[in-house]
Amino acid sequence: MKYLKWTIWTLIASVIFGFFHYTLPQRDIVLIVGTENRRIDFGENSIFWAGPDSGTAAIGNRDVRFINAVRANGKVIVYRNEDTGWGWPPYFKLDSSNLQTEAQALTSNAETPKWVSVTHYGWRNEFMTIFPNAVAVRQVVGPDVTILPWLNIFILAVLAFLVFMIRRMWLQFRERTIDPALDDAAQTWDGVEDSATAARGRAAGVWGRFKVWLGTWKSRPRR
Amino acid sequence: MIMGWIRLGVVGAIALTAVYFLVSIYSRSVRRETLEKRFDAGEVEGDRDAYIEAGMTMYEKGLRKRLLWLIYILPTLAFVATIYILNFQ
Repeated sequence: MKYLKWTIWTLIASVIFGFFHYTLPQRDIVLIVGTENRRIDFGENSIFWAGPDSGTAAIGNRDVRFINAVRANGKVIVYRNEDTGWGWPPYFKLDSSNLQTEAQALTSNAETPKWVSVTHYGWRNEFMTIFPNAVAVRQVVGPDVTILPWLNIFILAVLAFLVFMIRRMWLQFRERTIDPALDDAAQTWDGVEDSATAARGRAAGVWGRFKVWLGTWKSRPRR
Repeated sequence: MIMGWIRLGVVGAIALTAVYFLVSIYSRSVRRETLEKRFDAGEVEGDRDAYIEAGMTMYEKGLRKRLLWLIYILPTLAFVATIYILNFQ
């Protein structure tokens, strides 16, 4: 039971972490070495692609813009450049064509490098053929610049505040609405074994309540 | 196909309205609890129900209640700012 508990919590934590790691913006300092368009037929990886340009339509497949780049350590990275439009994730990116032009204007090579900070979200994964989506490009002075992720700090702080408020609201609702109702029920229906079980579950927290719920599936002796 | 920004607007308005109602219920409940506790601490003379009802009437007209409109205003501002910064700067 202990291992099951930790497995579930680890799974939940990794899903939450992965969600934010995919969705929140990150910055790479790279050299843009080329840009291209190529047609993509979306398959099992279609969830990892955004939509066609805002206001245009696509049936089945379409051309996607790509930005090819090299990191300071020599490793390569390929970005896609797609509109997210009005959907998820909420970047409201509508300017893929402009971004592609900016990337073309910043194209350079190792001899005459133009270091560029590429803001992007998403993952590069060779098994699934998925690419991070570039959101903005900006020239920086060199490969060693440090950029503090203020926006991510702000977004995570706001989300933490929202979680805190939801908890406060739930506790208030329980204190003012559920508990008085439960008290009434307990008074009118005293000494029932189920309420004792429920109370034990409440005292033991979320996991305890889950165990109590599991317990309700056990067979009971017939009367 | 329905236009993307209309769908976003409609879904957003519904979601924010739900949030607005939940938060306004919460805020009212907190206010009422504060009034009850203040009366029960013996700080005020008179009838308990009348005191609480007077306090709630004050709340319904007060600044705190109006600040709840920020639930609509702040996400809209964030939306407009994101569009402007990301696409037109």
